[in-house]
Amino acid sequence: MAKLARLSPEQRENLAAYLDGELEETAVQEIEQILAVSPVARHEVDMLSRTWDMLNSLPAHKASEEFTQKTVTTMRAGELPAPPLASRALKQNARRGAVLTLWALVLAVCGYVGFTATHQWVPNDSDQLLDDYEIISNLDKLQEVGNIEFLQVLKAKNTLAEHDEHSSK
Amino acid sequence: MNQNGTDENPVLRDPDVRLMLRAKGGDETAFTKLVANYQDRLVGVLAHLLQNKDAAEDLAQEVFLRIYRARHGYEPTAKFSTWLFRIANNLANNQRRNTGRKKEVALNVNDSGPLGPRPGERVIAEKSGLMPNRQFDKTEMCAMVQSALATLNEKQRMAVLLHKFEGMSYVDIAAALETTPTAVKSLLSRARDNLREILEPYVKQGTLGTTETEEE
Repeated sequence: MAKLARLSPEQRENLAAYLDGELEETAVQEIEQILAVSPVARHEVDMLSRTWDMLNSLPAHKASEEFTQKTVTTMRAGELPAPPLASRALKQNARRGAVLTLWALVLAVCGYVGFTATHQWVPNDSDQLLDDYEIISNLDKLQEVGNIEFLQVLKAKNTLAEHDEHSSK
Repeated sequence: MNQNGTDENPVLRDPDVRLMLRAKGGDETAFTKLVANYQDRLVGVLAHLLQNKDAAEDLAQEVFLRIYRARHGYEPTAKFSTWLFRIANNLANNQRRNTGRKKEVALNVNDSGPLGPRPGERVIAEKSGLMPNRQFDKTEMCAMVQSALATLNEKQRMAVLLHKFEGMSYVDIAAALETTPTAVKSLLSRARDNLREILEPYVKQGTLGTTETEEE
């Protein structure tokens, strides 16, 4: 049965490595023992070897005659003279400075826009109180008034303002 | 540091590494020599990998240009050939990703054109049980083997080409493909199995891959 036993995946991998001369000594001995008793394994090795050798029938492609010259010419054409180190460093520093300045400007503009938007569009409770200060300061009196029309009449006659002046004296 | 107390990088024994170091120092002749030494090998491997000789030459040129541009920062950490084929493999992968091409072998014999099935298609057809009954000439055999090679995925194909035509060890192939020697062992084992599956019928019939002893 051992003669016809299928090879394990590991044994099959080792067969290929054995043919490639890439197997360590202990594994080589194991493979050679298997080959000695197993016609299946011997057949595998034979087929693997012969089909591998068929790769020799592939054409040997060579580079064209002008390949080296073309490559060297392209190589030289790609070599542009580099600017002197000092001016290169100066340009790099100037570019960095410009980028930093730009970022600072952008942040400042964003800050200003944000502050303005917040100040104008977000309601502030204190502002509301300031707007209503006149009413709040006379609230005790206004609460005794019956309706808004009476207040409007008083306001039209400037009665409320005269009373305030008289009180402050 | 070695036993003599001197620093010795074993990679420096590689004559191509020494040429590259001269190129790093500005010796253009040294780099030209490297190009001449490797151009056929590189174009050969890339031509089988890409299955297009013109594309292989363009890519080979790009490999050398990349190496040339990187010369100032070159530090020898591996054999020159390993480094060169690692760059070649990466550029070939980039090109495949950019073009979005997939290499596929025609598996349906009915896709043959008016001239009948191509040798590669006969390979697949005859897997179904029809055995060849005649000798194939060299051109047909070459086409058949090329088709069989095309059925491998890119990593398997590159591993096969580097091992078969460059004689690279599993360790060197692993360095070139940026993987492990264990992974290379697995790649080559599967590649060999795939090639055998397709080409075995021809070996069995004695029509292809006949050894010298059989031809006597």
